[in-house]
Amino acid sequence: MLLRRTLFALPLLLAAAGAQAAATVGQPAPEITLKDTTGKTVRLSDFKGKHVVLEWTNPGCPFVRKHYDSGNMPATQKDAAGKDVVWLAVNSTEKASGDYLEPAKLTSWLKQRQSVPTAILMDEEGTAGRAYGARTTPHMYIVNPQGQLIYAGGIDSIASAKVDDIPRATNYVKTGLAEALAGKPLTASTTRPYGCSIKYKDPA
Amino acid sequence: MHYRPTSLLAKAIFLIAVMLAGAGSWAQLQAKGGAATSAVVTTPHVRAELIAHAPQGVEPGQPLWLGLQITHQPEWHTYWKNPGDSGLPIEMAWTLPAGLDAGEIAWPLPKKIPIGTLANYGYEGTVLLPVPVTVASTFAPKALSNDATVRLHATWLVCRKECIPEEGDFTLTIPARSTTAMHGAAFDAALAAQPRPVMGSVQGVRPDSNARIEGNTLQLSVQGLPVELRGKTLELFPETPEVIENAAAWTQAWKGAVWTAEVPLSAQRSNSPDPMPVVLAADGQGYRAELKVLGAWPTVAAAATVSPALEAALKANAAGVPASTSSAPPLTLLAALLGALLGGLILNLMPCVFPVLAIKVVGFAQHAQDRRAHRLSGIAYTSGVVLSFVALGALMLGLRAAGEAIGWGFQLQSPAVVAGLAALFTLIALNLAGVFEFGHFLPSSVASLQARHPVADSFLTGVLAVAVASPCTAPFMGASLGLTATLPGPQALAVFAALGLGLALPYLAAAFVPAVARALPRPGAWMDTLRKFMAFPMLATVVWLVWVLGQQSGIDGAGALLILLVALGMVAWALSLAGSARRFMAPVSILALALMAWIFAPHVTNVAAAPSAQASTGNATQQWQAWTPGAAEQLVASGRPVFVDFTAAWCVTCQYNKKTTLADAGVQADFTAKNVALLRADWTRRDPAITAALAQLGRSGVPVYVLHAPGKAPVVFSEILGEAELRAAVAAL
Repeated sequence: MLLRRTLFALPLLLAAAGAQAAATVGQPAPEITLKDTTGKTVRLSDFKGKHVVLEWTNPGCPFVRKHYDSGNMPATQKDAAGKDVVWLAVNSTEKASGDYLEPAKLTSWLKQRQSVPTAILMDEEGTAGRAYGARTTPHMYIVNPQGQLIYAGGIDSIASAKVDDIPRATNYVKTGLAEALAGKPLTASTTRPYGCSIKYKDPA
Repeated sequence: MHYRPTSLLAKAIFLIAVMLAGAGSWAQLQAKGGAATSAVVTTPHVRAELIAHAPQGVEPGQPLWLGLQITHQPEWHTYWKNPGDSGLPIEMAWTLPAGLDAGEIAWPLPKKIPIGTLANYGYEGTVLLPVPVTVASTFAPKALSNDATVRLHATWLVCRKECIPEEGDFTLTIPARSTTAMHGAAFDAALAAQPRPVMGSVQGVRPDSNARIEGNTLQLSVQGLPVELRGKTLELFPETPEVIENAAAWTQAWKGAVWTAEVPLSAQRSNSPDPMPVVLAADGQGYRAELKVLGAWPTVAAAATVSPALEAALKANAAGVPASTSSAPPLTLLAALLGALLGGLILNLMPCVFPVLAIKVVGFAQHAQDRRAHRLSGIAYTSGVVLSFVALGALMLGLRAAGEAIGWGFQLQSPAVVAGLAALFTLIALNLAGVFEFGHFLPSSVASLQARHPVADSFLTGVLAVAVASPCTAPFMGASLGLTATLPGPQALAVFAALGLGLALPYLAAAFVPAVARALPRPGAWMDTLRKFMAFPMLATVVWLVWVLGQQSGIDGAGALLILLVALGMVAWALSLAGSARRFMAPVSILALALMAWIFAPHVTNVAAAPSAQASTGNATQQWQAWTPGAAEQLVASGRPVFVDFTAAWCVTCQYNKKTTLADAGVQADFTAKNVALLRADWTRRDPAITAALAQLGRSGVPVYVLHAPGKAPVVFSEILGEAELRAAVAAL
């Protein structure tokens, strides 16, 4: 009578895979805990219940300047803000890089271009960038209110440094947000990000 | 001396003429064209020159090569056709005379340029990018100068750590009737640096060279590489960007003449090439192969978003809409814990738990007098249940973290698991019925050893109870389980533990409160009768499992399982015999079982083809369509209300609702009257799209019932679907 239970005590020994897989569209978006440019700690989970756009940026990169000096990125941010979407700009440039900007300088650079994201996050250690597999600046992600990653890729469809290409290109973030807020699946959920490589700190 | 001025003047004129002629041809040889542009563009980071190779001049049918020679400043680089993790390849826009047609750049073998944890493919130092130009018969050189002028506008990205996009305009005039071969050596070297196609192939395609997709890796297998390469470590350059992880570690191995490798796919892959062209290189020479892609590129889980209206409906449902009969508490952690506790209690009543409850009662009867043993048993059972729930929860969280689309009840989605459980319960039923006793199996020392540990026995009973209960989700469990998908680890495990506590509570209470224990009957002959009686609920559970398997593997699978169970039963009986009968029957029955298993086991695990929509029997007017992602939204957009039923064959609550509320004539009449489209999402086979949709709704188990209506907020119903509730909602449409 006892053995039948022993038989069933097949070990539910679980090698629960502890390691988090790299950020993938359709899976929960990795948590971010970073200080913003005012020194306050901001978490991605603070914004649960809203759509969140993550933008990896670096003013030293000509591709970022293409989208900011032309007004394209600030316009996309305004479009998102109007739809009650949170916008987090993340800078994963390491302190030792020539492109590094102190928080105050980064804030003023963005402000000069009429860019006002919900928060500007400083990721000098590169932890958030690596968690998301961010490679280029700009590199864009969209997270849905349930915390799932629904978009990863470029800002638009024409990979070039020319401002003239912006009107001809499809703005993936704008169309992605429109589809997501209408409850439709995204037509382009993973696209090619283009730009300069992120100046990560060498992992210790 | 008598000067002859004429000869001197003649000499002077001759000299000047020669110089002028020399200057003229020198100017031609300089190939400097129009006033504004030249063939060379120099920037702070590169020197780029447009050069040509026309050994037979520019004539129809004769080879003509143009090329951009780029000399980089130290530490600066430009990019290959696949730039890697960042960067852009060089782009060329040609303006050619009529009849000249430029082909694609013949990219020489690049270099892998790592930057920290990222990697690019590109060129440093000096590189020549040749472009083949075909000269058609329509080409005619310029009348007076007998040459052709080609113009190039090129854009490139040159990077060190920072990146600078640059561009240049180049103009080159090539004589049509004479040789242009100054850069012959450079072109020869550049063309030699081209990757060669792998041997024995037609344009690099060898049927045996392939790339097989396995999970998140690509298994490459390349044949036709030169003999001298065998055993060497090769470099890999994929021609298509956004497919593999460029900077990740990968492994390679030579298997005789075949080179194999395992390469990780990019987590955010956005290209799905077929065939997949790659370049392999060793000692500065490249070999190009087009790999046939085997398997399917992993599809991105359709992350269909929940519209704000549905989101609000889910919140309202969770908060307890007054019209709803179930009052599920708001989703705070404490409420979730309470809900889980209650859910566990109710689980005791579910049909899939009841047979194990039966076993528990039998165990109780045995220890009725021993209070301390009671309490120990109670605690051991509770710990068994709680720890099993926590372990299952941890497994689910771990698998979820590893990227599997798993929901609660996943154990019963695999035919092998269902068959295994059926076999186990058959054995238990036979044991309860007295066909065999476990004591006969084991040496008496082992059997009695176990009898000495009733604590361990109770613990394992708890584990068994959990294993059987998991697929049934009771009303209060729905919200709690959905919440665990989004909670951090420790809180999610606490909810699972509360669930286990609820399940074990009756037993625990009986163990500690003497009154309850005293109310239990004294041991006696009735115990044996009770024990034999308990075999029947156990067999009923086996019938249910066979029915579930039938849903998964068809009637053949169910039949195969039944014959295996019969053979298993015979083995159990044979092993219980004594003496010579046992010596004879035991091997025979084991052989029979082995034979049956060999013949029939594949039928059991053979999952039948994708199920068609489960049309409800006995009612021709009800048309349930199969749910697909986005179908509900499309139907609502076309003006029809939609009722979605998320169900599974092994979910008893679902089947109960299907046979009662959903089969009710009044409900069906209401659906028809309001032209409600009926969608059924069948989750029996672990469909990842449905798992994703359930996750979107904040649930990880079935059943889930949603009523969408155009212009109204969606309504989510409780798990025990109430007829009045449903009819009221449909009437409100």
